[in-house]
Amino acid sequence: MQIVDIHHVSRSFGSVKALRDVNLALRAGTIGLVGNNGAGKSTLLKVLLGLLEPDSGEGTILGCDIRRASRELRGRVGYMPEAAALIPMLKGVEYVSFGGDLYGMSHREAKRRAHEVLNYVGLGELRYRRLDEYSTGNIQRLKLAAALVHDPQLLLLDEPTNGLDPAGRMGMLELLEDLIAETGKSIILCTHLLGDVERLCKQVVVLDRGTVVRAGTMDELRAHISGRWLIGWSGNERAYREALSAAGVTFTEPDETGQGGVMVAVPEGFTTRQFFEIARSCGAVLTELKADEENLERLFFRVTAQEVPVTA
Amino acid sequence: MDFDQARYHGWEDRRLQSPWMACLAIVRVALMQVFRNKAYWVVLALGSLRFLAFWSIIWAVTQLPLPEETNNMFLKEFGFTAGNDADQNNGYMRFMEGQQIIVMILLAFSGSLLVGSDFRLRALPFYLARRIDRRHYIVGKLLAVSSIIMLLTVVPALLLFVEYGMFTASTQYWIDNWQIPLAVLAFGLVLCLVNSILLVTLSAYLQRIVPITITWATIFLLLGSLSGYLRRATEDERWRLMDPWWDMRIVGRMIFGSFQTESESELAMWATLLLVGVCSVALVALVHRVRAVDIVE
Repeated sequence: MQIVDIHHVSRSFGSVKALRDVNLALRAGTIGLVGNNGAGKSTLLKVLLGLLEPDSGEGTILGCDIRRASRELRGRVGYMPEAAALIPMLKGVEYVSFGGDLYGMSHREAKRRAHEVLNYVGLGELRYRRLDEYSTGNIQRLKLAAALVHDPQLLLLDEPTNGLDPAGRMGMLELLEDLIAETGKSIILCTHLLGDVERLCKQVVVLDRGTVVRAGTMDELRAHISGRWLIGWSGNERAYREALSAAGVTFTEPDETGQGGVMVAVPEGFTTRQFFEIARSCGAVLTELKADEENLERLFFRVTAQEVPVTA
Repeated sequence: MDFDQARYHGWEDRRLQSPWMACLAIVRVALMQVFRNKAYWVVLALGSLRFLAFWSIIWAVTQLPLPEETNNMFLKEFGFTAGNDADQNNGYMRFMEGQQIIVMILLAFSGSLLVGSDFRLRALPFYLARRIDRRHYIVGKLLAVSSIIMLLTVVPALLLFVEYGMFTASTQYWIDNWQIPLAVLAFGLVLCLVNSILLVTLSAYLQRIVPITITWATIFLLLGSLSGYLRRATEDERWRLMDPWWDMRIVGRMIFGSFQTESESELAMWATLLLVGVCSVALVALVHRVRAVDIVE
């Protein structure tokens, strides 16, 4: 089922084009939204939240038209903001139940749901404490609870591990993993921490200068960079390098992986057997041969630096 | 934590209310915020003290066999008589005018808490990313401030009206003076609208308690002093229109039908128009300030 289906969406603020002809079709699941500062992530989130009408383009999110049904859309989406977004003088359970009230729940239902979700996120014992007594980690969990109070179909999480220490970050990631596994909810995770996206998300959208430069599953994105190998050898280094270059192999300098090997890109039709044959002919011995499983971080730097031609 | 509580449960009952009901939730939370702040209890106590004073005076005037000159002294101060005439209206109106001072002090300090913090602590996403629009947010905040004003002005004034009728030991007082509660409500509406629009707009832009308090004091004290000085210097009553406090009082006197001078009756309509104009401009500025684009950084 497609949860996001938008076509040719553009949005400008004065002379600044924040989104340029964005086309996105995202299936239900966990989606990572990554990009540099100024890439258009925030603007895209506003459009997905139904808070900003695009200058052009159309589409639906959870079946709601992004131009005409923004309030209905926000009723189906749970948003966890990056900022603290706290309300002074309130206690934890009051904060979450207030969120439920604003979604249109009856106050009684909102209170009941607040207790439920606070138990789920592990804040059951802190529910009657004032918000100014909460730690950073607890505030993040509280915001997640407020986003879950109305049991939304889609969660938009903006930097959920922001400001957390390693243990807190691990706890939040485990909670999100548990939520995904238990409920099957769709999540769009907007974060700078690519490790979080790799751990939680099956789909990734990479934004750069208002354009979607990559969108797809992690497997699809990794497959896009096939033809790269990490090799290591002993013996006549120079002769082996020259022989490989003559065969059309490109060396990536410096070594990107930091693993002690050398990353090479091979031409189409080049087989792994040829690595061994060339080594034998040069008096070298191949000690390492590994297909490049590019992680998201390297992919991100690669596509935003335009090393690979941009495709839709 | 037992196993069941540790699991996520969906929400089965998906009945949703109108987004306008969220305005009541905003009012409820605002009142919680004010009443939990012990610093405001002093101001609320002052307001209650004044109400008790008026309560006592009404009891004294209606129950005690006091000499006429004593009654006249009370009249001068509080404007209540046992008869049905304009002076009686003055009593309720004076009570509300006097409570306005206490309301001003409370609002100056609570603007930052009720509205400014939404911008300062970036809590606006908490509201606008939910199933309400910015008009619901604005109306909710205006109602929240208005409810505080009504608690200190309209509600006690109506209670005094009920008390007076009770102490005259017949329902005739209430029947003969049916206009008084209507006038109280109308004047209360004016106070609520003007004060809430000005405070919410000011707090949305200034956000912090010190600038809000200084600006609030400038509007209501400095402008008042300036208008008084200019009026005395030029002997032109129209300078009084500069003072928003005076403008509200004159509108109240127009509602109660209790003008004290001829110039007041001449200037009442201008005061009304001025208040409408200022509130309209403030409302436009407020709508502009509450922009959805702010909510995602």
